[in-house]
Amino acid sequence: MIKNNIKYKVIALFLAWGVVGCTKLDENLNSTLTNQQTADALGASGTGLLLQTAYNDLATPFNDVEQLINLTGNASDESLVPTRGGDWDDNGKWRATHAHTWNADLAACLLTFNSLNKINFDATNVLAFNPTPQQAAEARFIRAYALYNLLDLFGQYPFRNPGDNLLNAPEVKTGAPAIDFIISELTAILPTVPAASANINFKANPDAVRMLLMRCYLNKGAFANRAAPTFADGDMQQVITLGNAIITSGRYSYTPNYFDNFTPDNQSKTKEAIWAYNNTSGVSAASLDVKSFWFRTLHYNSFDPKAPNAGWNGFSTVAEFYNSFGIAGTPAQTPDDTLLDQRIGGRFKPGITDFPGSGLRPGLLIGQQFDHLGNKKHYRNWVAADGANAKLLSFTPAIASNMIETTPGILETTGIRVMKYSPDFPQYDGAAGNDVLIFRYADVALMVAEAMMRKGTPDNAGALTLVNALRAARGAAALPSMTLNSTTNTYAPLTLLAERGREMYWEYVRRTDLIRFGVFTVAWPYKPADAAKNLVFPIPSQALAANPNLKQNSGY
Amino acid sequence: MLMSFKNLLKSAAVIILLCVSQLVMAQDRVISGKVIDSRDSTPVVGASVQPKGSKTGTATKSDGSFTLSVASNVTTLVISSIGYASQEVSIAGGVTSVEVSFVASGGNLNEVVVTGYGTARKRDLTGAVASVKAKDFNQGVITSPDQLLQNRVAGVEITNNSGQPGVATTIKVRGNNSIRAVNNPLYVIDGVPLDGRTARPSVTLAAFGSTPETNPLLYINPNDIAQIDVLKDASSAAIYGSRGANGVIVITTKRASGTGTQVDFGVSVGTNLGYMKKFEVLDASEFRTALKKYNQPTSLDKGATTDAMDEITQNKLSQNYSMSLTSGGENARFRASFLGSKTFGFLRNSALDRYLGAFGGSFKFMDKKLSIDFDVKTGNTVEEITNVSNTAGSQGNLVSSALSWNPTEPFKTSNGHYVVSGNGSGNPLAFSDAYSDIAKVTNLLATISAGYKLTNNLDYKFLFAINHGNGERNTNIDGWLGGFQGISGVGFGQKSFTTLTSQTFTHTLNYRANITEKLRLEALGGFEYWKTDYKGSNFSAQGFNTNLTEDTRIAIKYTDILRNGQTQLPPVTFVDPQIELQSYFARAILNYNDKFLVTATIRADGSSKFGENNKYGYFPSVAAKWNISNEDFMKNGGLFSNLAVRASWGITGNQEFPAGASQEQFGFFSYNSAGQVNVANPDLKWEETNSYNLGVDFGLFNGKLYGSIDYYNKNTTNLLFQSTAIQPAPASIYFINLPAHLTNKGLEVYVGATLIEKTDFSLDINLNYAHNKNLLSDFYGPGTTTPLQILTGQINGQGVSGTLAQIITNGVPVNEFNLKQFNGFDANGNQIVSANPGFAGDPNPHAIFGVGLNLRFKKFYLNANMGGASGFLIYNNTATNITNISGIIGGRNIDMAAYNSAEKPTSGATASTRFLEDGDYFKLRNASIRYEIGKVGKYFKNVTAFVSGTNLFVITKFTGFDPEVNIDKSQNNYPSRSIEYVPYPTPRAITFGLNFSL
Repeated sequence: MIKNNIKYKVIALFLAWGVVGCTKLDENLNSTLTNQQTADALGASGTGLLLQTAYNDLATPFNDVEQLINLTGNASDESLVPTRGGDWDDNGKWRATHAHTWNADLAACLLTFNSLNKINFDATNVLAFNPTPQQAAEARFIRAYALYNLLDLFGQYPFRNPGDNLLNAPEVKTGAPAIDFIISELTAILPTVPAASANINFKANPDAVRMLLMRCYLNKGAFANRAAPTFADGDMQQVITLGNAIITSGRYSYTPNYFDNFTPDNQSKTKEAIWAYNNTSGVSAASLDVKSFWFRTLHYNSFDPKAPNAGWNGFSTVAEFYNSFGIAGTPAQTPDDTLLDQRIGGRFKPGITDFPGSGLRPGLLIGQQFDHLGNKKHYRNWVAADGANAKLLSFTPAIASNMIETTPGILETTGIRVMKYSPDFPQYDGAAGNDVLIFRYADVALMVAEAMMRKGTPDNAGALTLVNALRAARGAAALPSMTLNSTTNTYAPLTLLAERGREMYWEYVRRTDLIRFGVFTVAWPYKPADAAKNLVFPIPSQALAANPNLKQNSGY
Repeated sequence: MLMSFKNLLKSAAVIILLCVSQLVMAQDRVISGKVIDSRDSTPVVGASVQPKGSKTGTATKSDGSFTLSVASNVTTLVISSIGYASQEVSIAGGVTSVEVSFVASGGNLNEVVVTGYGTARKRDLTGAVASVKAKDFNQGVITSPDQLLQNRVAGVEITNNSGQPGVATTIKVRGNNSIRAVNNPLYVIDGVPLDGRTARPSVTLAAFGSTPETNPLLYINPNDIAQIDVLKDASSAAIYGSRGANGVIVITTKRASGTGTQVDFGVSVGTNLGYMKKFEVLDASEFRTALKKYNQPTSLDKGATTDAMDEITQNKLSQNYSMSLTSGGENARFRASFLGSKTFGFLRNSALDRYLGAFGGSFKFMDKKLSIDFDVKTGNTVEEITNVSNTAGSQGNLVSSALSWNPTEPFKTSNGHYVVSGNGSGNPLAFSDAYSDIAKVTNLLATISAGYKLTNNLDYKFLFAINHGNGERNTNIDGWLGGFQGISGVGFGQKSFTTLTSQTFTHTLNYRANITEKLRLEALGGFEYWKTDYKGSNFSAQGFNTNLTEDTRIAIKYTDILRNGQTQLPPVTFVDPQIELQSYFARAILNYNDKFLVTATIRADGSSKFGENNKYGYFPSVAAKWNISNEDFMKNGGLFSNLAVRASWGITGNQEFPAGASQEQFGFFSYNSAGQVNVANPDLKWEETNSYNLGVDFGLFNGKLYGSIDYYNKNTTNLLFQSTAIQPAPASIYFINLPAHLTNKGLEVYVGATLIEKTDFSLDINLNYAHNKNLLSDFYGPGTTTPLQILTGQINGQGVSGTLAQIITNGVPVNEFNLKQFNGFDANGNQIVSANPGFAGDPNPHAIFGVGLNLRFKKFYLNANMGGASGFLIYNNTATNITNISGIIGGRNIDMAAYNSAEKPTSGATASTRFLEDGDYFKLRNASIRYEIGKVGKYFKNVTAFVSGTNLFVITKFTGFDPEVNIDKSQNNYPSRSIEYVPYPTPRAITFGLNFSL
């Protein structure tokens, strides 16, 4: 019994230790903070950090070759990615995007839906942290931009209020309320966003708000009925009023050399940046990672010092687009500059073309490619020792009809390439310094011209004047006349749609343009006429499963 | 009353008892003798030697000898030791000297099995526990403890993730238990549960993808391990609660035993003997023929004859030196051990250096009531890692460079520079030369424990352990390396650091009593607190000014001058949320007359990771056993020397989800930005596995044939799942528990047999076989009845980006292949594949098996360990993308299968069932021949020479390097299974060694 006593004492002690040793198991997050800690620790400056994240979020949908550039470019008539032998098959997803044979499992849809909604979330979150009126206005602008893109691509968008429980499915806005909400947000913040500063604007500013409003008004009728868009006179008047406010501000003009809008030093040269994403050469933090803009299209050997890794040899455009510039004959891409219309490219550009190993002439790359000394470039087996047997690097316009290149000798070189942003050579595959122009002035003029043609009493002459002024700045001959578009040929030269293509190609607007002009589902190269369901992308299956308030778009 | 204590701590107890009771004995004569192992004539240390019918006796010394004073009337000695059948030796008729040859027996029912916070005799075991002793460990090239067990335990599948020395293994105990990537069992070393991660920093290089993980147990000296026990069923593993669901591997290291001083030395040297199995690509003449066949320009014939796969390998001499020293007496004992080894990898510029030291001691005070043990294991491991990344994209890795190298192209130009092929295939020799990746990890596992015998029935034990690892890794790729995007002309350097620290506090009380004469109770109660911290950082830069041309190479690494890089990549630092676990556990074992045994356990686990609504989980288990052979009707000889049936049920858990997932977190990002990083789920909890086990243990023909058969049924629910976040959200996923069911049902058979047992010749053999069926059901999204479909299994390489080959979905095994159907070639030689992917087969082996063979002839011993797996498919990603036929257009090499097919070079690269191969294999993992020389001269004892071969051959239809393959191709942390992609090849290796004692 004595022993038992000892035993119980020990057990009691042991249990006591156990109780004393108890921890509450509260989790220390260490390098991250809780919601409350964030608010406490950072105060007002913390809200600024959250806002910066919303701005930085823009990088992903823009630089990922599978996201916006794919859904707005490859799904339209300006771009496609042929499968080249062993390269770029990728389960047929690139061909599906261009041929409009996608379904709700197209990875690009999910990636884009998520990345745009991350902007949506991070911008909304700013509003939950006592922002200043200006911060709130900036956050609402960024959110409006994300919502506009979601609405454009998917016909609906989910919406949360600041502080909502993330485990609950949020409401979904669709139809007129969806676009009206964006317009009301933009209208509300217009007086509060900070005034534009300096040469180039990286933040929300009144002109950026106006330009997004212009897009909303211009596309409102298309969003309401993509199969048969209508254009209310009031909306068109809004476009014109807002556009004129930007034009008459005198802040912007056409950059004398079109490609100076896109060079590594565009920050100091462009006159057209209404809203841009800032990049600093060699600084990868918060960089948009612009290199994919040239990598996705250039050939493996397009830049000697990086060959055979100078490009991914994918994205191309088609002969019909090239021809819409109305250039007779094929430019030689030789050192002589013979072309009208700067925008087609092929001109010698100091700093780009003469960079050792480059020879690249910004714009559409067609035919034989040369190095900086004017020597013909070769593809594959680029080691000089290979001599006569080496194949010449010459981009040819014709692409296999099923977009699957199988012909030996040409499968790497079919397709005209589009080098709009020219490489930052010292950071060719690093953190390039080109700023990315999200909103560009030329688009304002073109939208105003379009609204003039679409308003209750069309002003075609006024539109032509605006367009010809733009063309004059680009070194292109004036158009004798101009219609909105041809219903059978999206590239018909004497149309506003073609002019938008020539000016805005590979700048994330072409799909929206084709829908607004009613020609997204007509046949164009490498895509037969297709069903109206393709006018919106499917809601990704995973998103649909997560949020029952989302409704799959009809036809999917 | 003392019986069970003695059995629990047998060898130690014998000595204690001896001391206590020797004085009261009448002593008439002294018997001396020696106990040796019949198999290898090594001395058996610490064996108990007792006069029959007495509880007193002695233990053998380090040379196996003993002296014992016995009463005049004693005629028989009983000699017993763990791992051996006990023997009775007659000392009638004035015998004063005996030599006993012990027969080690796998069927030995007195073997002690470590069960978690305690031990049990094998015959008292109610659960399914497999125990492997040091003498049965695998031989040959062993770099980590888990390799000691490969093919040895039924139902435990251990796959080397690659051929790199020191690489991580994938361990599946009874099938695929979780759809989460972190799926390895819990390791417990000498009572200390480990974290499972390693302090070696992980590196993912933008240009090459992720590199393979290292083995977390590299700092454990395999020579220090006494035994490894695998707790397979829930009744055994439930005592580890929320971390037991994937099985528990309990490692027990050697302690000092006996008295006297002994030092053991071992030295071995070895080398690789080439590929165990080669991946067949074209040689130079075949390549020339192929150029003609496919009408490619003759300029692609560069005129030379090279074999890149040979060039990237090395056959350097690996060395291994070990020493262990034991010393001590009754109340104080030490054991120290050291290991220094350099193991050269099969690929150039890869190696593993290990310097390990361990020091442990046991002390007894206060009339042996108080015992204090300490143990310190330290290790410094240096891995030289070559680039064989798991998810290499179009630029490939070292192995893909070699496989696709044009076999007619020389590696160097006439002026001595490396050739840059210009066809997208890197120069493998240049790559190997320009790439340097060295990881140094220092590890410490220090344990102190104290036990106090409160009463004869009650023991208290306290244990504190700290496990600390510190890793540094320097990754450099010289800018002179041509032909690699993001590297050529700029170079790359990254310094990474990781620290992992875990602490364990355990208190246990152990109670043993005879409730009635026939009913014994053993009870355990305990409290454990465990916490772990994991943090790290890395710094990297590009755009260096040095080593940009081959002619101007200097010995300074970029990581030594990191700030020189023109592009400084944002530094990364992370401190994971601390993980704390607080647990209460109890176990009771009732033993009725050794016929019926019942074990019940419960553990309550609180974890800081769990959501605030689920702080504690409860994990009960119960098991029962009927020892039929102990019934009277079975006792008189007969066929069965042992027959028992077992049944158990229990619940175990898995809490392998990222810490912090239950709380809302805000993170700080580069460039003055911050934001919410996750969707919090306060309801988050552990994954729960509910399992049954039915088993039979048997011994026939006096123990010459023995074994066990187990049937199990495991059902995992509350699956930890990364659900699609409801957008708009800060992340694309969040963690929830899904009420789905992941079942594993299977049968395990283990049979051992002593076929021949003669003085000069013996042969025994053991076989293990396990069959498992894996199925995922009720796999629906939260609140829906739409089956979830998780795609994983990245297929990498040019032209397949974004392709995923496996699916986790309802009604099929985890990781079912999900591929487009291959339907041959069209008239143009292009592949015909179906438009959409579909289910294509199971990557999980349905059967795994092992065969062990021990043959003795006089002083020669042959051990062999073989094994394999069957009933599964492997996806050959190497053939899909690296050696596919389109490569020949640019002058890259292609594989034999592509060459022999009707395919034309312009055919696209597509993942399809074409590259799905039968994975069945049988491998001779190792075979050793040992010669026991015995005593040499005055001082050298136990001299043994051996030669050992590793991975001697494999029989398989699989065309890749090694069908035992698991390249980590996980997607979003959903694991992949059985995909091969340009792996570090498995070498055939040979080792020569010599062991001796002083």
